[in-house]
Amino acid sequence: MRSSHPLRARPIVIGVAEACLRCGVCCAVETHFCHVQFEEEFDERYTYVYHCLSTPDPASNQGIWLCTACHKCEEVCPYETSPLRFIEAAKAEAYKRGLAPRLLTGIIAQITSTGYLFPITPSTVRRRAELGLKPLTTEAAEELRQIALKTGLTEPRGEP
Amino acid sequence: MRRYAFFPGCFIQVRQPHLEALSRRILGELGVELVDVEGFTCCPEAVTLSVDKMSWRVMAARNLSLAEELGLDILTLCNGCLYTLRTVNQELKGDEELRGRVNDALSVIDREFRGLIRVRHFAEILIEDLERMKAHVERPLEGLRIACHTGCHILSPPEVMGFDDPYDPVILDELVEALGAEAVDYDLKTLCCGWTLSTYGSREASERLLASKLNSMRRGGATAIAVICPQCFHQFDVGQASAARRLGIEYRLPVFYYLELLALAMGFSLDEVGYRYHRVRSGEVEEALEVIG
Repeated sequence: MRSSHPLRARPIVIGVAEACLRCGVCCAVETHFCHVQFEEEFDERYTYVYHCLSTPDPASNQGIWLCTACHKCEEVCPYETSPLRFIEAAKAEAYKRGLAPRLLTGIIAQITSTGYLFPITPSTVRRRAELGLKPLTTEAAEELRQIALKTGLTEPRGEP
Repeated sequence: MRRYAFFPGCFIQVRQPHLEALSRRILGELGVELVDVEGFTCCPEAVTLSVDKMSWRVMAARNLSLAEELGLDILTLCNGCLYTLRTVNQELKGDEELRGRVNDALSVIDREFRGLIRVRHFAEILIEDLERMKAHVERPLEGLRIACHTGCHILSPPEVMGFDDPYDPVILDELVEALGAEAVDYDLKTLCCGWTLSTYGSREASERLLASKLNSMRRGGATAIAVICPQCFHQFDVGQASAARRLGIEYRLPVFYYLELLALAMGFSLDEVGYRYHRVRSGEVEEALEVIG
């Protein structure tokens, strides 16, 4: 079900894909380039950014999840486009349509149920005690849960 | 005494609590008072929550509002937390309409973002008062040759983060040299540590990246790595150990969170800084520290 929540209304940034000239600078300057270029399928002629911008349905491209929002692509782009904005818009669209990886939806559930990005394990508890640190508490997560209800973050997702 | 609302970040709290314990001790000795804030949660992490920017902003604004209630700037130990909290703080301070929408969502928990504080990274307050820090150095780390990896999210976008030049970062080098160590130059200095590749991508790609980066550091003459971000620390420590095992190459480049290096220079032992929790250790570095005494 596509959400109609007013706080989440955002179009895909089509303009970025149209403005990009596929020059490859964002992924080809080795001293300041996109780390995703280390994935085997990419090289100087077929770059990660080109891959993200040229897929017919960007939201269904699993490659978008490799972007870490480091901003290097927009910093080096000689034409001042922002592939990052395009990729983030594609991620948002994918999330709305239920296409996000289960790992990501699991992390969101983890944050809204505990307040922490990572699970508090017995090892965490033991090591914190050994170091004389206060135990971690999860009460504040209730406020995150209420925020998520308000913004629609944890609404059911799926294809429209 | 400078007082801050202490935001260790959940990666350190959950996975690397020895860094939290050490940070509390070292920053305290430098005259920085860290105030614990009841109710701080995950910043939240920008890569994950980029799927819903409004939720990201509202949850970050909630953390900011908690520090505002205490009238304290936030001090964080993590580049990622800095990125989220500083970006949202700046966006909401500068956009009344957006601030109104965020505060409307925050009203369900009776909170309000007012835009009263700043968000700081510990490296910023150290470089701003370098002489105070240098006065605490009792054992200069002479002989250590360190490759500095500043990390992506404290550098970019520079108009928001304002920490250092994203093309040629030097501040961490200055901090390392203030301890008496040598900061070496290397050609892949601004390449990402590859954290998201190890999370959402392929392990092979993450290892190829690490191999390139570690080889570049070695070519530069480094015997150790310095970082100011817990996720970069994890990648260069656990990731390096994993890559070395699978690729059959021993890089032996131990990584130090900067405050560990500072503690060593202040006279702490390797055991006291938590070196036993590191996966990658090096006899070369241990011997160098023994020589220093």
